[in-house]
Amino acid sequence: MSRKPKEERRDNIISSALKLFSERGFHITTIPDIAEKVGMSVGNFYNYFKSKDILAKELVVYISTYLGDEIAKINDQKISTKEKVSAIVKMYFKMAREDPEKIEYFLRVYLSNREVFGGGGCDGMLCVSPFVTELMIFFDDGVEQGNLRNQDFFSAFGLFMGYLGGMVFLFGEKILPKPLNEYEESISENIYNALRVQ
Amino acid sequence: MPYASSEKKPALIWLQGVTCNGNSHSFLNLPYLPQLLEKYEIIYHPLLEGTSTLHELVLNKAECDVLIFEGAYDPLMKRHNVSLKDIVTHYAGLAKYIIAAGSCASFGGMFKASAPERNTGLILNESEPQGPLLVIKQKVINLSGCPIHPEWLGFTLTMIADNREIPVDELNRPIELYSRLAHHGCTRNEYFEWKVDSKAFGLKEGCLFYEQGCRGPMTHASCNHILWNEVNSKTRAGTPCFGCTEPDFPRKNLFTTKTNMSIPVDIPVGISKRSYLALAGVAKTFHIKRLEGKLIDEKRNN
Amino acid sequence: MTKKEIIDHIEGEASISFDLNEDNHVDFATIVFPHFRGMEAILKGKPALDALVITPRVCGICGHAHLMATVRALESAYANAGLEITISQKAESTRELTLALEIIQNHFKWIYLVIMPELRKLVKSDEIAPVLKGAFAASIATKALAIFAGQWPHSSYMVPGGVTCDITHVERIKAEGYIDELIRFFEKDSLGMDMETFLSFETCNEFSSLDSDIGEIEKMLKEANMHTLGFAHDRFITLGKHSFTQIAKGIQTRLTPIEHKFVSTEKAYSPTDMSYAKNALYKDTYYEAGPLSRAMANQVPLIKNIHRRFKDSAYSRVIARIHETAYLLRHVKNLVQTLDLSEPSVIPPIDIDTLSGEGVGIVEAPRGPLIHRVKIEKGVIQEYEIITPTQWNIGCSTKDKLTPAQVAMKGNSISDSLFIFRTFDVCSVCTTH
Repeated sequence: MSRKPKEERRDNIISSALKLFSERGFHITTIPDIAEKVGMSVGNFYNYFKSKDILAKELVVYISTYLGDEIAKINDQKISTKEKVSAIVKMYFKMAREDPEKIEYFLRVYLSNREVFGGGGCDGMLCVSPFVTELMIFFDDGVEQGNLRNQDFFSAFGLFMGYLGGMVFLFGEKILPKPLNEYEESISENIYNALRVQ
Repeated sequence: MPYASSEKKPALIWLQGVTCNGNSHSFLNLPYLPQLLEKYEIIYHPLLEGTSTLHELVLNKAECDVLIFEGAYDPLMKRHNVSLKDIVTHYAGLAKYIIAAGSCASFGGMFKASAPERNTGLILNESEPQGPLLVIKQKVINLSGCPIHPEWLGFTLTMIADNREIPVDELNRPIELYSRLAHHGCTRNEYFEWKVDSKAFGLKEGCLFYEQGCRGPMTHASCNHILWNEVNSKTRAGTPCFGCTEPDFPRKNLFTTKTNMSIPVDIPVGISKRSYLALAGVAKTFHIKRLEGKLIDEKRNN
Repeated sequence: MTKKEIIDHIEGEASISFDLNEDNHVDFATIVFPHFRGMEAILKGKPALDALVITPRVCGICGHAHLMATVRALESAYANAGLEITISQKAESTRELTLALEIIQNHFKWIYLVIMPELRKLVKSDEIAPVLKGAFAASIATKALAIFAGQWPHSSYMVPGGVTCDITHVERIKAEGYIDELIRFFEKDSLGMDMETFLSFETCNEFSSLDSDIGEIEKMLKEANMHTLGFAHDRFITLGKHSFTQIAKGIQTRLTPIEHKFVSTEKAYSPTDMSYAKNALYKDTYYEAGPLSRAMANQVPLIKNIHRRFKDSAYSRVIARIHETAYLLRHVKNLVQTLDLSEPSVIPPIDIDTLSGEGVGIVEAPRGPLIHRVKIEKGVIQEYEIITPTQWNIGCSTKDKLTPAQVAMKGNSISDSLFIFRTFDVCSVCTTH
C-alpha cells in the first residue's frame, strides 16, 4: 500500500511542527517557520492547514489517534488486566523517550493553552476522543472481568493518566534521577493496586 | 383473501397457564374489538362468553382453529381438574395457528419464577428452545410483552382471518411488530442523541438510558410507535422501559443502569462497544445549554 | 349430599363444594382456589424498587392498586427509618385519580361481563347482554389513566417520592376530555340519566325511573329476590386512606376507628383439596370489604337507605358498586381539574440502597383493602406479605365461624348461591398470588 505524496507531505508538516513547537515554543513558532522547515511555500502550506489554530487542533487529534491505536492494540491482546496496565505504561513511556514532541505537545500546549482549543473546535473531549474511547474500553473490560473496582470513570481516568502525565512532565524537566524505563515496574504496580478489586 | 361471509368463521380458544390475566385485560382495550370478534367464533375466553363452557372445553369437545395461550406453561397444572398438558396437546394438535400471548407464554416470563425448574414458554425457555410445543414450533407465533399490546394481537388475528402470511423473527415474533426498538419514537430521543441524562425521576427532560435503567435501545417492541392505550408509553411518562418483550424479562435492578466505571454495560442493539463509546464518550463531555435547561422554561427571555 | 361446582370467569378459577340439605339448599360451602404462583417468595431477595414492577403482575385487572400499595409500603419504610420522604399534592392526587380510574374500569367490566349476563340467566331472559359496552367503557377509563401512567395494564409510574410523569396542561386537558367522554357514555348508554341526578338518589325506589341497563339490573335483582338473599355478617371494613374513603370498621351502621396492626391472616379451611387461599381477619373476626363497605363508611345516603331496608344483601352489594362507579367518576373529574402542575412530580428521597427497616402500604383496590407489608435490608427485600380484598370476602372457614361469602351463600339454591358468590366480585389471582 503506497502512500500518496500528499499524505507524506502532511505527515512531514505534522512532525516538523511538533519539533519546532518543542524546540522554540508554541507561540513563538510561526507558519513560515514550519513551511521553511518542511521545504514548501507558505501558500502551499495553507492548502494543508488553513490556519495555525486549525493545525493546533489537528495535532491533538493526530496524537490522540496515535495513542488510541496503540492502546487498542493492547486492549485486543489476550493478556490479563494487570499485564495490560504494564503494557500501556510501557508504551506511554516509550513514546516519551523516542517521540518526546508528541507528549510534550499534549502536556505543554494542549493542556496549558485552553484558549486556543475551546470555542467549538475542541469542545469537551472531542479532539481526544480516540484516546479516551480506548481507555473506556480498557476500564469496561477490566470491571467486566472482575479485576478492576467499579467506580466513577473520571476518578479512575484521573488516577491513571494524571499519574503518567505527571511522571512524563518530571522526566521532561530532567528531574528524575533514574532513566524513565526504570520506573515502569513500580508505576504499573501502583496503578494496578490502586484500581483493582480488593 | 379475507374470509367470505358464507365461509365458516375460525374457532378461537383462549387458554391460560400460570398467569395474572393481564393479557386478557389488555386485549379488551382493542379499539376495533367488536369488529375483530365478528371474524371469529369464540369457543372459550377467560372474560368473554364463549360457545363452550370450561367443562366442555377440558373434555376435548370443542373445535379449534386458533389457539391462544396466555401464561407460563406448567406441566403439572390443572384446569377444571384436567391436566393442562392434555388440554394443550389436544387443542394445539387441532389448531392451525397457536399464539403465545405475552412473555410468560413466549419465554416463561414473570411466572417462570413460580416453578423455575419446570415452567417454560410454549416453545422457548427464556432463550433456549424448549417447551411443550417445540415439535410444532412452525405453528407457534410468539407475541411477547408483559402484557401484550392489544393491537399486536389484533394484528395477528386479523392477518390470520384474512389468510395472510405473518413472517416471524428467530424468536417466532412477527417482524412487523418486533423489528423496531422501544427506543424508536421516544419523545426523549434528542437527549439520547446528545447523552444528556435525566437527573432524577419525574422530569420530562433527559434520557432514562444512562442512569434510570431504560432498556429501550436494547428492546424489540413497538411501544413508541403503536402507543399504549392509543395515547402514551412508559418512557413518554418518565418510566424506564423494562425490556418486557425480551427473553430475559424480568431482569434485576430494573430502575438502575448497570455501569462499569460510568460506562453502560449494555448498549444499543447491534452497535459495537467501541463505536458506541467513540460517539457517546465524547458527547457526554459537551455542555449544551438548551438541552441542560428546562424544556419549557417560563422564565426565558426571548 | 355434596355437589361440586367449578367457577371460572373470576380472574381465574375456584371450586365450591356445596353440602346440601334435604330441600337442596346450601347448608355449608367449601371454597377452594387451586392455583398458586408464589409472588411473595419471588419478591424475597429482590432489590426494593423491583417490587414496583413485580407486584402489578399479581393481577391483570387491579395491578395498579398493587403498584400503589408497593410504593406506599416503600415510603412507609423510609418514614419508619427516620428518613426524609415527602410527596407533593400533585403527585398524591395523580396517584389517587389513576387508582380511581382502575376501580372504575373494573366496575364497568364486572357490571357488563359478569353481573348482567349472570342475572339474565338467573331470571331466564333470552336477551344477550351487551358485554362489549363494559370493554369499551373500561378502555376509555384506562386511556385517561394511561395519559398519566404511560400504559394500562402494568404501569410502574409510581416511585418513592412521587410519580414519574411530568405533564403539562395539554395532557391534563386530554385526560379530562376522556373522562367527560366516559361520563357521557355512562349517562347515555348505561345509566339512562344525568349522572348528577343519579348521584342525588336517596332511595332505591328512584331506580324505577331508569329505562336503561342499570335500571334493568335493578329490576332483575328484585325479580331474583336478591334483596332478600345473600346476607353476610353485616360487618364492614375500609382500610385504605384516600381522598374518597373513610377508614373505619362498621358493625351494621355503627362506625369505629381501626388500626391495621390488628389485621391477621390464617390458612383457608380446605379438608380435601389443596387450596392456596388465606382468610383475612381483623381482631380475629371476618369483615366484608369493597364498595358496600366504603359506601357505609362514607355514609352515602342512598346506600344507607338501601341498607336500612335490605341490609347487606346481594342487592345492596351490587347497587353499591354501581353507585361507586358514578361517585368515582365525579371525583376523578374533580381531581384532574384541580391538579397544580407547578408542583414537582418527584421529591427524590435518599438512595434506597441505604434503607433498612419495615413498611406497610394500604390502598383500597376495586374489591376492598389491599395491604402490602415489606421488610428491607440495605435496599433488598427480606420479606414481603400481601393481603388482598378477596381474602376478606371469600375466605373459607369451618361451620362454627363462617366467612362473609360462606354466610351469604348459606340457605340458598345452588344457582342463587353462585350468583351471590359473584356479587362479591371475586379475583382468584389476587386471593392466592
